[in-house]
Amino acid sequence: MTFLYFDPGLGAMIVQAVVAAAAGILLFSKNVMYKVKSFFGLVKEKKDTYDSIDIEEEDTNTDDKKN
Amino acid sequence: MTKKTDAHQASFRDPSGYMFYDGKTLRRAIKPIYFPQYNKLKESGFFKNLISNDLLIPHEETSVSSEEIILTPEEIPFITNPYEWSFEQYKHAALHTLKIQKYALSKGFILKDASAYNITFHKGKPVFIDTLSFDFYEEGTPWRAYKQFITHFFGPLVLAKYHGTEVFKMMQTHIDGIPVKLISSLLPTRTKLSSVIYPNIHLLAKMENKHSEDYKAETKIATLSKKAQENIIESLYDYIKGMTLKEASEWGNYYDKTNYDEAAFEAKKTLIKEWIKPLAPQKLIDVGGNDGTFARTVIDSVPQIIVTDIDSNAVDYNYKQLQKNKETNMLPFVCDVLQPAPGIGFNNAERNSLIERLSDYAPDVTMALALIHHITLSGNVPFEKSASFFASFSKNLIIEFPTREDSWAQSLLVRKREFINHFDFYNEAEFEKGYLQYFTLEKKETVKGTKRLLYLLKNKNHEG
Repeated sequence: MTFLYFDPGLGAMIVQAVVAAAAGILLFSKNVMYKVKSFFGLVKEKKDTYDSIDIEEEDTNTDDKKN
Repeated sequence: MTKKTDAHQASFRDPSGYMFYDGKTLRRAIKPIYFPQYNKLKESGFFKNLISNDLLIPHEETSVSSEEIILTPEEIPFITNPYEWSFEQYKHAALHTLKIQKYALSKGFILKDASAYNITFHKGKPVFIDTLSFDFYEEGTPWRAYKQFITHFFGPLVLAKYHGTEVFKMMQTHIDGIPVKLISSLLPTRTKLSSVIYPNIHLLAKMENKHSEDYKAETKIATLSKKAQENIIESLYDYIKGMTLKEASEWGNYYDKTNYDEAAFEAKKTLIKEWIKPLAPQKLIDVGGNDGTFARTVIDSVPQIIVTDIDSNAVDYNYKQLQKNKETNMLPFVCDVLQPAPGIGFNNAERNSLIERLSDYAPDVTMALALIHHITLSGNVPFEKSASFFASFSKNLIIEFPTREDSWAQSLLVRKREFINHFDFYNEAEFEKGYLQYFTLEKKETVKGTKRLLYLLKNKNHEG
């Protein structure tokens, strides 16, 4: 076990299994809905200025001495 | 060996390292306990990738020895704290944290903490500033910063959705986030039907309550697959991204409500531009600057601009505008001049008070337009006291004084009803008497077409 300098909360550690299950179902159904909606051309563009969760990858195998 | 003049007051919670001042430069020391993580993060290109994606503050390796590694991060001119953010800013800070955690997970790392203080706003965007917040991912372990993410980010955001952004100020009294139980009890019952809010808040509160007395750490922690953890992160991300504020629509266009016409508005802009130009400021702050309209008149010539306002919606509007225009030299945040953010945390020194931060920042020009009548008439602050407040951090002060004849000053005065005579001091002569104790008068002009005076004052302590 790596060291820990604050209490993560035991309940919080246990609850994640349930949270993940709920999230899994939700994401799956959203995905299905998205496919259905886009089939009927109902997908709306989001206005938020923050981009997607995924990061653009460059070559990650080089070291970063410059930084 | 780097000379350490002063340890940073906020840097003691994490044993991996600490921040310190080397003269005026802020540096980061890494202790040997964190060397394995640091080397792996560096050699795998993880840091490099986060930095090139503008997610993590860039740093340089200053020195390496077997006792410590010293990093020098890029300087951030002004740190804002979570209780000073608008809704959209808070939202982006949360999304930023999740984005980094998802990426870290894909590279075999985790964010070991998810404190809102690990994010600040720099160059118009949120940026992660705690370079040592990463650790190795151990297969099958749940995210240990999960609860912190809920108490620092998700909880406050959901509360703001139902109760307004005033809720963010609760972060001032709870430096480690709003307790889950409290968040749960403050939310309307119908949130128990939400498939995201129920498990992440109500169920979490229940579980935390149930297991709070497990002193011997006997209960076995269930394993959680990487995919399951990704699901948690993604569902939180989707939910937060879609959040909007009810009160957002209430922000009527302030400048449509001004008591002067378009020509006067332009005259004020021109005057400000003319006065600022010869001062050639590097740093400018507009206190009570609404959505940044007046600060934007000089945005091309001033490298750093701060715009504060008491109205979270105006700050939000400003933040959206600067994201849209891709402006990198403006920093908006929420600030009530009558009650600026105090120093909080251990020794009252973990997070600096606004006054301390402002005097460290030392702006070359301070603007206070359409503000003094609020400070004086709504806040009952005598001229001498508000003058001393501005003098504590300003070199040059551009201040607008709506005279008694101005319709807004009138309306504030009328509301005093039978006490109106107590405010006879609200006049040009008394204003000048108060302010000229701390400042010298450089320029004074009436804004064309209005009952307002514009002053350019110079701080007596900054002459020479």
